[in-house]
Amino acid sequence: MSAWLESLQFVYAPQVVNGLSLGVAVILMALGLTIIFGLLDVINMAHGEFYALGAYLGTSLLLTGLSFWIVLVLVPLVMLPVGYATERLLIQRVFHHKDRHILTLLLTFGMAIVLEDVFKLIYGPNSLKPESPIQGATELLGMMFPTYRLFLMAVGLVIVAGVWWVVYRTRLGAIVRAAAYDRHMSASLGVPVLRVYAGTFAFGVALAGLAGVLLAPVYSVFPTMGKDFILMAFSVVIVGGLGSIKGAIVAGLLLTQVQALSSLYISPVWSDPLVFGIMVLVLMFRPQGLFGRLGHG
Amino acid sequence: MKTLQRTAVAALWSAGLLGAVAPAVQAQTGPLRIGVVTPLSGTYAPIGAQVKMGLELALTEINAGGGIMGRKVELLYEDEEANPQVAVQKAEKLFQQSKVDFLTGTVNSGSTLAVGQVAERNDKLIATTVSFSDAITGDKCSPNVFRVNAKAGQQSVALAEWLAKDKPGASLFLLGPDYEMGRSTVAAFKDAATQRGIKANGELFAPLDSKDYSSYFGQIRAARPQVFYTSTAGNDTVRLFSQLAEYGINKNITMIGVSGAITAQNIKAIGKNAEGFVTGVGYTPEIDNPQNKRFVADFVKANKIAPDLYGADSYGVLYFYKAAVEKAKSTETAKVRTAMEGLKWTTPQGEKTMRAADHQAIQDMYAVRIANGDFTIISKVQGDKAIGPSTCKRW
Amino acid sequence: MVDPTIPAPRRRAGLATAFVVLALLAALAAWWTGDTFYLRLATEALIFGGLAMAVDLLLGIAGLLSLGQALFFGFGAYLSGLLLRDAGLSFWSVLAIATVAGAAVGLVSGVIAIRARGVYFALIMFGLAQIAAKAVYNVQALGASDGLMGVPVVRIGVGPYSVSASDPLSFFLVVLVVIMLMYALLAYLLDTPFGRNMQALRANPLRLSFLGFDPWRYKLAAFVLAATIASVAGALYPMLRGFASPELLYFQTSGNAVITVVLGGVGTLIGALYGSVILFGLKSVVGTYTEHHLIVIGLLFMAAVIFFPSGLVGALRKKK
Repeated sequence: MSAWLESLQFVYAPQVVNGLSLGVAVILMALGLTIIFGLLDVINMAHGEFYALGAYLGTSLLLTGLSFWIVLVLVPLVMLPVGYATERLLIQRVFHHKDRHILTLLLTFGMAIVLEDVFKLIYGPNSLKPESPIQGATELLGMMFPTYRLFLMAVGLVIVAGVWWVVYRTRLGAIVRAAAYDRHMSASLGVPVLRVYAGTFAFGVALAGLAGVLLAPVYSVFPTMGKDFILMAFSVVIVGGLGSIKGAIVAGLLLTQVQALSSLYISPVWSDPLVFGIMVLVLMFRPQGLFGRLGHG
Repeated sequence: MKTLQRTAVAALWSAGLLGAVAPAVQAQTGPLRIGVVTPLSGTYAPIGAQVKMGLELALTEINAGGGIMGRKVELLYEDEEANPQVAVQKAEKLFQQSKVDFLTGTVNSGSTLAVGQVAERNDKLIATTVSFSDAITGDKCSPNVFRVNAKAGQQSVALAEWLAKDKPGASLFLLGPDYEMGRSTVAAFKDAATQRGIKANGELFAPLDSKDYSSYFGQIRAARPQVFYTSTAGNDTVRLFSQLAEYGINKNITMIGVSGAITAQNIKAIGKNAEGFVTGVGYTPEIDNPQNKRFVADFVKANKIAPDLYGADSYGVLYFYKAAVEKAKSTETAKVRTAMEGLKWTTPQGEKTMRAADHQAIQDMYAVRIANGDFTIISKVQGDKAIGPSTCKRW
Repeated sequence: MVDPTIPAPRRRAGLATAFVVLALLAALAAWWTGDTFYLRLATEALIFGGLAMAVDLLLGIAGLLSLGQALFFGFGAYLSGLLLRDAGLSFWSVLAIATVAGAAVGLVSGVIAIRARGVYFALIMFGLAQIAAKAVYNVQALGASDGLMGVPVVRIGVGPYSVSASDPLSFFLVVLVVIMLMYALLAYLLDTPFGRNMQALRANPLRLSFLGFDPWRYKLAAFVLAATIASVAGALYPMLRGFASPELLYFQTSGNAVITVVLGGVGTLIGALYGSVILFGLKSVVGTYTEHHLIVIGLLFMAAVIFFPSGLVGALRKKK
């Protein structure tokens, strides 16, 4: 019995905590992705690059001497107009074709290629790593965990709760959900649909950027970092249901725990394929995911 | 739209073919052309940058001294993007279009091997100054491929020798990225270390590009090692070391690893967590001889940063080629090859010998430690002791 | 009723003939000047053009975006490399095996992948290719991260004659023949009732099922065909370059194929071949001026998507 408790404490608990800190990253990315899809029907293949953009912006701002906390607020604010402009100037161009899915997928795919090379151009290919704003470790369940990671989990919870509140409990959120449910009806009711679109895209992108800043001290910053989480984020979005916030959260927690705990039993090389395999199964047998869409869920 | 496309295609074809004719005119009396296929973009771009800097410095010096056999030397660069598919295209272009006499610069072993095959098909020689996979001068050796830098085996010996003397009988934990290179470097070092009395009490392989190593920390803690060896590189090392420090695992453990684990590319990102790291290398700016002192001073003056092993070995390869051509009194492949085998030439690392049996350079090896961001020498192993027997069986 | 968005068979044939004529002229010019490099580069462009043709079959004809077609290309390449190096088989045997094996692998993966539509399909293919790449990267027997080296030069026997794959002109012509044969087969197929039904997949799959045909079967057929074509194209690669490496399975290869198709004109099949030549030419030219050629190519690609979607839209008129 005590051996079981010990393994719970020293083997499982750390894995669960690790999965949670990874989960924060993935959930923040997935939230942005799913909101963008839920409202705009746009698959943003460049989402990972916006995550990277946030990290790079954050690192640059930190170098000017600003405190991490100010940078944390500043970066999403800067990302908002970037996202807004991207949506109005680029995505709207292909938006009105019947096959906006594939066209926007291709367009954002092109954006991702360009962005990644732009990062290399401006910042060079070397890795950068900002200092963690909270140093030291805390004891939890008899194990030492870096305090910053615990902070990350708390912050992640706050952000997710904030997003939920905005989408489901505010008038702004109601407008967004209405536009998602029925664009034309909302427009005829006076909702500025085009601005809502651009604003939602901006919001999703800002979330990604925020994730980038938060995680830069943990995972470091380099031009191909956009690819770090993108497969995982897409898996989460699909398993949770494209457009569902609840889905992104639940699936995010679930899949990151699967990945963390599975590495105890199978070679870690296969945990990414395992998560992907789950995504494939969901796509085959329950394509709407666990929870369905933003407009309808 | 279609006519536009057709015209574009025709234009591209003609441009390409015109480009094909021009260089063919250059004959044997023009400058000596050396091709450099190296990653100028992508993850390995910093290594490519050092390669270029080393080559350029040697180029200036050699040309100032009258070139090779009275002919000026020209370097032609192509970006291989660290992808063998691109590397072979560019290598072919340099061999067949630009008619280079010699080629160097490949970084990852896949590219070196693939370009080596291209060299064989074009009856030309290449040398690598970066790739350290043992196979290149081992079971995958080629009569047209030479290696001027130290291979993984030599680095392992240097490091293991130091470890056995400094911490005899210590317990060792090894971690490597889960692919061929990662596994073979871990295996090679484990061998070299256990042969010298070190106790390996655990090893583990994490996927390449792992974001989070914390899931392995339980295992590492349980093993309670005194020494921790890693063969990760680039961002993987940044993340590994930061996370080890975050969790306090690296306290009272000696961190060691393969030479590519911490280089100019990632040392800034690793920051203070790199202090105390020990590795085995064939070069450090601290090597105390007049050639190296002059080389380092010139390099820093030209590039504003210190040379690393890639820069130094690339500088050395031009002199290697020069010495061979002068000995052979020709640039013909067969003659130069014979001259290269057994050749001794001077480099910032002192005198190196190119072993004929496997085309591997023999040189003195060092164990170095990072102190205040610099690599300081802490021990040295003689060239012939560091190199193992040849395993190349092709000739 | 004629659907004006699909190039009429006659128009397609015109473009295809033009391509072959241009290719032969270029080969002639190369032979005249004694060039070897550009011939081999063009051969490589044709080989990757074959992969792009497979992507175009799926995207432009069946309305499925595959972001992982490199999976089959890499499969064909490794298979070919192994057969040539370790089994010493002949050119024709290797091609035959690559065809059959490619179709088999296509069938198995198709049954899984076809269940998903649209964007989900794209992501599944992406993921499958990633997993395969990872697997190959770690298998020692396939050369692991170094790749499969040492593939010998193969001789190609045509009747009483035999040419060597290392002869740039001959191999260019051989590859041209193989690729154009595949194109011709596809073009022929598209004009049969079966092929016309397949094209209905993107135009109006609902009508297809109302008429009593099972769209699933046509989708699977398109998928298997595309897998086979990619596999055969891949099989040619080690014959040209003497090795196969995991990079052939990476997303970059699949992504390049998609860019090729978009730049060349979706749904035309021959556009994939034109596009491949254009992309190779672009990379070569832009690459000599800057390391950041991806920015240029990426922007061109985005421009093509934004300003010429009519080419895409007509080809993509499919149901979700």
